[in-house]
Amino acid sequence: MSTISTALRNFKEPTKEQLTQIFFSLPSAGLLDGLEKTDGQYVEKMDINAVLSLGVQGLEESYAGKLHLIAPYLAFASLDRKSVRFTIPLSTIRRVERLNARAGIYALSLSTWHGMKIIVQLTSLRPTADHFCSLLRDALKIELQRGQMKLVKGFTKTCYSEALVSETSTVADNEREDGSLISEEKEHAAPRESTYHGGLGLRFKFPGDPKKLREASKIKLWTTYLREHGRNLTLLRYPQCTRLVQVGLPNRLRGEMWEVLSGSMYLRFSNPGYYEDLLKKNIGRTSTSTEDIEKDLHRSLPEYAGYQSEEGIAALRRVLQAYSFKNPELGYCQAMNILAAAILIYMSEEQAFWLLEVLCDRLLPGYYAPSMHGTLLDQRVFESLVQRCLPIIHDHFQVVDVQLSVASLPWFLSLYINSMPMIFAFRIVDCFFCMGPKVLFQVGLAILKINGEKLLQIQDDGGFLNLMRDYFASLGDSAHPNSTDPRARAITRFQELLLVSFREFSVITDDMILSERRRFRNEIIHSIESFSKRSAVRNLKTLGRFTKDQAGFIYDALYKAMCVVPPPAPVNPPPILLTANDGAEDKPETRIGLKTFQYFLSEIATWARNEKIVMNGFQQRVDREVAEHEFIDRLFFFWDTSCRGALSFQDLVSGLDGVMFNDLMENIEWFFNLHDKNKDGFLTKDEVLTLSESFLFIFRYEVGDAYLGAVSRFMTNAFEYGDALLPQAEEGTENKSETGAEPPSPRVIESNQPYLNLATFRMVVLADEVLESFFETDLSASFRLEPVPDAEIPASANGLLGDLWSTIATDSNKKMFHMFTDEIGKTIGKHQVIHRPSIGRYTKLEEPKARESLLTPSMRKSPSKASLTGSGSASASTATLAPSSSSTLTVDVKGASAKASPQIPASASLSPMVQAVNARLMERTPFAIDDAKDDEDETDDELEGNDNDDQVMDEVDAFLEAHDSGLTDADKEVANDLIHAEPLK
Amino acid sequence: MLNAAQSFTSVRLATDSASGSVDKSVQVKLVLLGEAAVGKSSVVLRFVSNEFQANKEPTIGAAFLTQKCRLEDRVLRYEIWDTAGQERFHSLAPMYYRNAQAAVVVYDITKASSLEKAKSWVKELQRQANPNIVIALAGNKLDLVQPSVSSPGAASTSESEDEADDATATPGETPGALGEPASLRQVPREEAQAYATEAGLLFFETSAKTGEGIVDIFTEIAKKIPIEHILAATRGTGRPGAAGSRADGARQEGGVNLEENAAKSRDACNC
Ligand SMILES: Nc1nc2c(ncn2[C@@H]2O[C@H](COP(=O)(O)OP(=O)(O)O)[C@@H](O)[C@H]2O)c(=O)[nH]1
Ligand SMILES: [Mg+2]
Repeated sequence: MSTISTALRNFKEPTKEQLTQIFFSLPSAGLLDGLEKTDGQYVEKMDINAVLSLGVQGLEESYAGKLHLIAPYLAFASLDRKSVRFTIPLSTIRRVERLNARAGIYALSLSTWHGMKIIVQLTSLRPTADHFCSLLRDALKIELQRGQMKLVKGFTKTCYSEALVSETSTVADNEREDGSLISEEKEHAAPRESTYHGGLGLRFKFPGDPKKLREASKIKLWTTYLREHGRNLTLLRYPQCTRLVQVGLPNRLRGEMWEVLSGSMYLRFSNPGYYEDLLKKNIGRTSTSTEDIEKDLHRSLPEYAGYQSEEGIAALRRVLQAYSFKNPELGYCQAMNILAAAILIYMSEEQAFWLLEVLCDRLLPGYYAPSMHGTLLDQRVFESLVQRCLPIIHDHFQVVDVQLSVASLPWFLSLYINSMPMIFAFRIVDCFFCMGPKVLFQVGLAILKINGEKLLQIQDDGGFLNLMRDYFASLGDSAHPNSTDPRARAITRFQELLLVSFREFSVITDDMILSERRRFRNEIIHSIESFSKRSAVRNLKTLGRFTKDQAGFIYDALYKAMCVVPPPAPVNPPPILLTANDGAEDKPETRIGLKTFQYFLSEIATWARNEKIVMNGFQQRVDREVAEHEFIDRLFFFWDTSCRGALSFQDLVSGLDGVMFNDLMENIEWFFNLHDKNKDGFLTKDEVLTLSESFLFIFRYEVGDAYLGAVSRFMTNAFEYGDALLPQAEEGTENKSETGAEPPSPRVIESNQPYLNLATFRMVVLADEVLESFFETDLSASFRLEPVPDAEIPASANGLLGDLWSTIATDSNKKMFHMFTDEIGKTIGKHQVIHRPSIGRYTKLEEPKARESLLTPSMRKSPSKASLTGSGSASASTATLAPSSSSTLTVDVKGASAKASPQIPASASLSPMVQAVNARLMERTPFAIDDAKDDEDETDDELEGNDNDDQVMDEVDAFLEAHDSGLTDADKEVANDLIHAEPLK
Repeated sequence: MLNAAQSFTSVRLATDSASGSVDKSVQVKLVLLGEAAVGKSSVVLRFVSNEFQANKEPTIGAAFLTQKCRLEDRVLRYEIWDTAGQERFHSLAPMYYRNAQAAVVVYDITKASSLEKAKSWVKELQRQANPNIVIALAGNKLDLVQPSVSSPGAASTSESEDEADDATATPGETPGALGEPASLRQVPREEAQAYATEAGLLFFETSAKTGEGIVDIFTEIAKKIPIEHILAATRGTGRPGAAGSRADGARQEGGVNLEENAAKSRDACNC
């Protein structure tokens, strides 16, 4: 029933490079399918200081910033990282010219598919600029070869903005004030060439009153903006763009703008046909996800007309299913239905599919994952922001024990769509796509701040929820109903909310969110892990004789093993077999394979690991390696009672229960059964040999010859009594062994012939003091349940020092340090390695004696007793045993007897899995510190320009405010000159 | 967020200010848990507004509803938290069952695995939640295994756990009755009853569709909740001994009431 996931441990902080990609909304590498076609052609990434100007006099100011070449994209961000930015696919750049300008000025003119001219002045040193240009040239060439350039035309036709700005079909003018298109009614008469994508809203109307939403004026403003600043793939985002988004996107353009702002458009552009193919490939396939989706289809924005029709439901089903096929690990999580339903009102299925991908993958990371760690993390971050920004409310919540998340969880999980009336929620979504995930936090804080006084009255979770419910229901009301100023009266509570969000909480930046997430990540991971641990222990069918705490230790060892040696992903049965819902939560129970088991056992059983005590003059430490031996494999299959070839947590608990609490007799029987493969109550002769090998394996590091002698005697006796029990018929041929060196000939014994029964085995064991004490106490005691020290979670604990420490203290670094000191130790002759014994009963050489008296006289008449008498020393017994049927045995015995020599198993004996894990740990690059420094800078920048957002509620023409272009007047003059500069020949 | 605090803080006295009366109602936090689609939301909807319809409310995390329930001379105000069913929301559940005085763990009698899930919820509640929490186990969708439409009042439900052992003898109750379409039922009533008794739970078989057994869950819980104790604790002047015996008395009287007429108790609850 329990599934144990170590996925969270594998989380890696994004590198600086990845953060840049995220900032520019670029697809992560794996999603750029097109790139593979270039046969490994690849242009290195580069950024360069640049001043951006539009090639039209007086239209926009020039801005200083950084130009990034991240093939196949070109991206720019102004110094404040928010005033101006763009991300355009290189394939939309149709012409690049070096401009003939003043001496010392290096400038390029880029013409885009939409006929727009972008002028970038490269302000870095000349060689750097040259290098950038040559890279840009190479990257453009590759795009041409890939045929990407040709795709642009067809793609832009799917964009509504093209229809909007095209002079022939002036969509804007055809639009009535109510938002419906005049041309739509005569559509059949003259089908337009451009077939742009659109959502359910085109058929079922968009939510809200178009007149109140001022759709027509918004469309006009956007038409102008898009004509001058590029659109869809080539959109340049100047301050005006952000302002237009903040007053609410017009319904018809909304879908496309969401695509551009979120970057999902680049995915759709670079993966044409993917969505349709995915659906086709998986047609008829069902899974837990598809079942869950079915349950929720009819409760996804059911108030919207589109979802009262089969058309809307079907679209929603396809998009959610397609996503679950694309990302089966995430599959489907409740709340995704709300998101998908919302965006499908404004975009086509294909558009929605890619936007959902960006949402789940980048914008809301981990929100919908099976552990929902992203959700929990952001709730924690939000709580900490509330504590910081609204301490009085936070304190009150503490006092009355109200949990913020009971209200705020759905805000974040469904982008407020499930909490507010749709028309308002969509405006928050507009801002979210445009300004980033910080918007969710800003709005959340503003909601609490606005309701501050009432919140201080609430006494419990229920009261909190009711208050929030009432507030959201009143968002359309006037914020100042009693004001004498009609302008103030006209301000709605929703407008007030946005105002407060962006004005009073502009201090909240995306970088701050990132660093807060870093701060709390470990805490959240720990609480999720301890939660699953408690559930796993609680859900065990039987604890056996273990206490809950002990079961917890077993869980810890299992967990650690799974982190170090991840079990192979469970093989899903083919789709056809998944059709019937047979009831059980078909999340497969976590099971581990042999490799993981070996690691697990090495954590628990002393003999399942090789421990070397290393002294090199600087330090004394214990190096631990996982032992590999047939005995461990045997144990694995022995515990696999349901014969699945893999063990569950329950199997491990029951298995350990079967050995850890045993008394002498039970242990002997357990050991016997372990080696009785066909469970017929007899060991075959081969099995006796294997059993002896198991002994030798367990005793391999014991000091002195006591165990070796014991095993040797055991074998002699076992074979003696085994032979004695054989049918007497063979006696004639049997007694040939003159030298006594040859044990009973295997010729006469079938390999599967029963040879030794439990009673005999027991007797032979009890004849020996060493083995007796082994079974009496040592075997059970060799399994040790101790707290497993926390496996390190990658990434930081707290702040700078935490970052630093986690970077230094990786396993691989420790290994390097050890290797280093060992080397020095060797050169100065202080290096010394001792194997730590697994049992450790005998600390010096001891000569134990066989208890011959216990043997019954009748047994003694067994013919081949020569070997018995020769069992004085280990070396003698080795010689005696050598000719026996098992050759590996010889090796083992020799190895064991040679153990005193300083022979160190090479590090190559580390399992390759472990090495792979170490290698991965090594890959982590220590960018965390650099990032932290950046955070500070960003915050300062944000603080300066923050009052620009006030104007959001004024009508559209009042939006544009001065933005810091980061340029001096002289710089501006240069930039201005460039607009008129001629291309260099 | 993952820790269930174990206190009674959310219980307090609410005074009906509108009427100005001294009619004191006790607020009881109740959480619904169970596998997805067993009918949790339907059970709540039946209780709160006495209707049955396809669930239209998209639930993220948990839905929050309130309903008053009159018991004797006292009014209980149930604060009901109906949790979302998807397995991955499980780790959020403690947020909702923290401080709860009552829980209804629902399973679907036509789906055996849902009882297993219910048991696991019960275990979790008993370990993690308020130690005094009153837990009721509800086997829902009883209508699916009943041959004909049964009048909701006809089938009385079992008594509280004390009498659970001989619940089968309750007049009017015909568990595993003849003519029951046996193929659909996957959880025998006796099996669930035995488990509930062993685990110390109230037990009911219900149908949100017909309404059968729904109100009884909430009235029986109301009887079992140590209201006097809570009131005393809230006032800070209570005599625990007296409070305990008073609560016992109330429980018995309620029992009599129910046997008189189950329909009556329904009315009492839909105030
Ligand atoms: N026949 C029948 N169906 C029910 C009953 N209760 C719920 N359902 C149906 O079971 C499905 C799941 O119900 P819902 O209340 O959403 O379950 P939840 O996920 O546990 O909240 C819905 O289709 C309900 O109509 C019942 O008592 N009888
Ligand atoms: Mg529900």
